[in-house]
Amino acid sequence: MGCLILLLPSCQTVKEYEKQYINDPDMVLSAHTCERYETNFQVYREGASGANGGKTGGGCGCN
Amino acid sequence: MKKRLITLMSLTCVSGLLSAQEHNTTPPSYKKKVLETIELDFLGSYYDQKGKHSAVNGGMGTEELDNYAGNMILSIPVRLDGVLSFDVGFSAYTSASSSNINPFMSRQITQVNATGASTGATSVESTKTLQYGSPWYASTGPSRKDVLYNLGANYSHSSDDRNTILTVHAAVAREFDYESIGVGVGVTKLFNEKNTEVGIKANAYFDTWKPFYPTELDEYHTYGTNFQNAGYFANVEIYDQNGNISTKYLPDRFVAFDDYKRNSYAVSLFATQIVTEKMQFAVFADVLYQKGLLSTPYHRIYFADKPAYYIGTPNYIPLYNSPQNTEVYRLADDIERLPDTRFKLPIGMRLNYYINNWLTLRSYYRFYTDDWELRSHTISLELPVKISERITLFPLYRFYTQSKTKYFAPFGQHTTKQKYYTSDYDLSAFDSHQYGGGLVYNNPFSKAAIGGFTLKNFEIRYNYYDRNDGLSANIVSVGLKFVQ
Repeated sequence: MGCLILLLPSCQTVKEYEKQYINDPDMVLSAHTCERYETNFQVYREGASGANGGKTGGGCGCN
Repeated sequence: MKKRLITLMSLTCVSGLLSAQEHNTTPPSYKKKVLETIELDFLGSYYDQKGKHSAVNGGMGTEELDNYAGNMILSIPVRLDGVLSFDVGFSAYTSASSSNINPFMSRQITQVNATGASTGATSVESTKTLQYGSPWYASTGPSRKDVLYNLGANYSHSSDDRNTILTVHAAVAREFDYESIGVGVGVTKLFNEKNTEVGIKANAYFDTWKPFYPTELDEYHTYGTNFQNAGYFANVEIYDQNGNISTKYLPDRFVAFDDYKRNSYAVSLFATQIVTEKMQFAVFADVLYQKGLLSTPYHRIYFADKPAYYIGTPNYIPLYNSPQNTEVYRLADDIERLPDTRFKLPIGMRLNYYINNWLTLRSYYRFYTDDWELRSHTISLELPVKISERITLFPLYRFYTQSKTKYFAPFGQHTTKQKYYTSDYDLSAFDSHQYGGGLVYNNPFSKAAIGGFTLKNFEIRYNYYDRNDGLSANIVSVGLKFVQ
């Protein structure tokens, strides 16, 4: 992770006026707002959780 | 660990504040508001599942569950640089599985007893109460349904140049047997002309159980070794594996928990990078540590080296493992026992690529490992297709695979020699496939207003989830975004 962060600035710099594709709503790097419910049931039904930019703990998830 | 995390959270806070202060020294002549107007999101979902490995019944039986959830998120601009948001919601379930914390139901039956055999045929009818249950059907117990309420507040503050964002949040959640309090802070830095973003978040959740135990174990806990002559079990017949009445059932392995706390601490690192005009990716890494009551108090365990005892109609004992069993329930030997700490390490990556004006690729991969020896891989792909200027359709697919935790074994396979055990199939080895899709409607220039708010975005999603241990689920989610 640390190495990756150091390498990040070496990528090509895209200017603000060149970001029309990057700023498209489908290109957002976070999950959709509605997706939280799917993430919730996956956290309950699967042994793994986290590393998706969402909730990282709390709740029993026992049903 | 706790002290280190608190120190880290404090440092994160201070560094964010100092950084924001630094940028405040050279304010630009014009600043755009971080959030232009008040936003209001309404979200809702319906989820149903079925399966045959209920942990409440020791890894066997119905897992039927319905869940309705709803949330309202209100985001308010605070001056030019801040956004304050509130998230209030509920989640209401009906669960056949959790109904079987107390699986026992009763009904009146009529018995015919022959008397006076030497003097002639007479018979006497009498009624008695039959106690029965089945892992394959829901009982009528109060634990069959519950409602979770949650409330969260979040504040984010951006620096004048919008290159530093400080966030703090707090949340509470409550259901009948569980309470959770969460707090967190985070700092995000943008640089390289906002092509690169790195951030750190620290969260802590302080949860408390109000434990409920399976009825037979709770009675043993309450009345001790005399429990078969008191409380629920007074006048209830218990049968052995051969269907003979027995008084030998004694769950002496069971001891109630004395610590009801469960604390979770998480530090999350993330970085995003614009690679080209059409490609960007993000990397997420969490370090999670949990401590406290990590077992679920009503997950039953049946040991292979203990004799089996039942309540109900003994004719059904040979059919116990099949849904044909409608009338007999096996009494538990213990509840699931898991270590009181768990260390989790998930690492994930998203990569999005703008293929052309009507097609985009959204992809995600995650590797997960923990010290309970559970490993998993997750891959998901989503292909948004713009069918018009305002409408996007997206098919999606998600594959998930995990190895079992070292404490898992199926129904009736643990032994009393083990220290930790669970028959919860959520911790078993399985693969799952999730197929779905949705529709997004965007109208940023809409003028149609209701009560001063305009609908800007609508989304509906459907997913079918199929786990190769027999569990399947459907979920529908809907979201509407209004702006003032």
